[in-house]
Amino acid sequence: MIVGQRKPLEEVVAMIRDCKRVLNIGCGGCTSICLAGGQKEVELLNAELRAYLSDHGQDNEIRSFTVERQCNADFFHELDVLRSEYDALLSMACGAGVQFVADRYPELPVFPALNTSFVGFDKDVGWYEENCRTCGDCVLGDTAGVCPVTRCAKSLFNGPCGGTRLDGSCEVDTATPCAWFEIHNRLKRQNRLELMMKIRPAREWENQTRRMLIQEAYKERYSK
Amino acid sequence: MSDTRTCAPVDKLEIKRLLRARKSMMKLYLSHCVRCSLCAESCFLFMTNDQDPKYMPSYKVIQSVGKLYKKRGNVDRVFLEKIKKIVWKNCVLCRRCYCPIGVDIPAMIAFARGVCRSQGVYPDFDEQGAAESWL
Repeated sequence: MIVGQRKPLEEVVAMIRDCKRVLNIGCGGCTSICLAGGQKEVELLNAELRAYLSDHGQDNEIRSFTVERQCNADFFHELDVLRSEYDALLSMACGAGVQFVADRYPELPVFPALNTSFVGFDKDVGWYEENCRTCGDCVLGDTAGVCPVTRCAKSLFNGPCGGTRLDGSCEVDTATPCAWFEIHNRLKRQNRLELMMKIRPAREWENQTRRMLIQEAYKERYSK
Repeated sequence: MSDTRTCAPVDKLEIKRLLRARKSMMKLYLSHCVRCSLCAESCFLFMTNDQDPKYMPSYKVIQSVGKLYKKRGNVDRVFLEKIKKIVWKNCVLCRRCYCPIGVDIPAMIAFARGVCRSQGVYPDFDEQGAAESWL
């Protein structure tokens, strides 16, 4: 799941204050589930915006609408009609959703109300943890399901670095377990410890182009 | 869940307006379902829940969109709460349901969700939602 966090109110206000009519668009996907950008959060933000703007002598019209998923064109039927009534759109989706809306309505300014934080999983209600940097070169099969890119402070592919503390924590942050210590322990438990010695080539981190993925079964369809 | 969301009367005029706006397409979809059940076989929720008929995509749209039109929008909050379970809990909107006739089932589910949302009926993902087993 993509996890996001709402921007500070002042930052949102700074973006929309000059727009007379603003439509705040919630997303029924990931940002609903992580309690950052669903319909409920849209209503909360709108109430705060109205109060703030009113206190500062402004009478901007702030309305709300929630799209089931802002990253998919199939769910924009109503918004295609609604959007013409507004001067700007405020999106409570992840960065992909904001860009999707901006691409669809290039005549309108589209502002992000969230900071897209990471890809992670639910620890509990309202508690999420990062587990994937979407690096595009997954090594989890060799690292016993512990991502060294995400969970090692130095993103080392060939660890550990030597900064592992005696209690198994990371030298960068003692509250964080050393990823390679965890990889070692889990590989040992699985009798696959020889994988610790496997050398992985350096990752191409720089000059990355925008990524695209078409599943094998659909390649012929989209090549036309 | 706030009291306004659970107790306020529904705005029937707004529901009727929404139904009117998509009437031609939705009626066309509803009338073209030939009950072939191919959509059911393409629904992973149906297949992984012992082929329970309540997960059949055709059942879900008939019980939500179909009933909204049948009742001509004269529905109450209790009815919308029932629809909420059908279109959110029993459907993840993965868009994998296949219809040989060309009925856009995901569009119908999304439309039913939109009608519910217009009245403040939608799933909660906070502690309230967890208590309702939405997570």
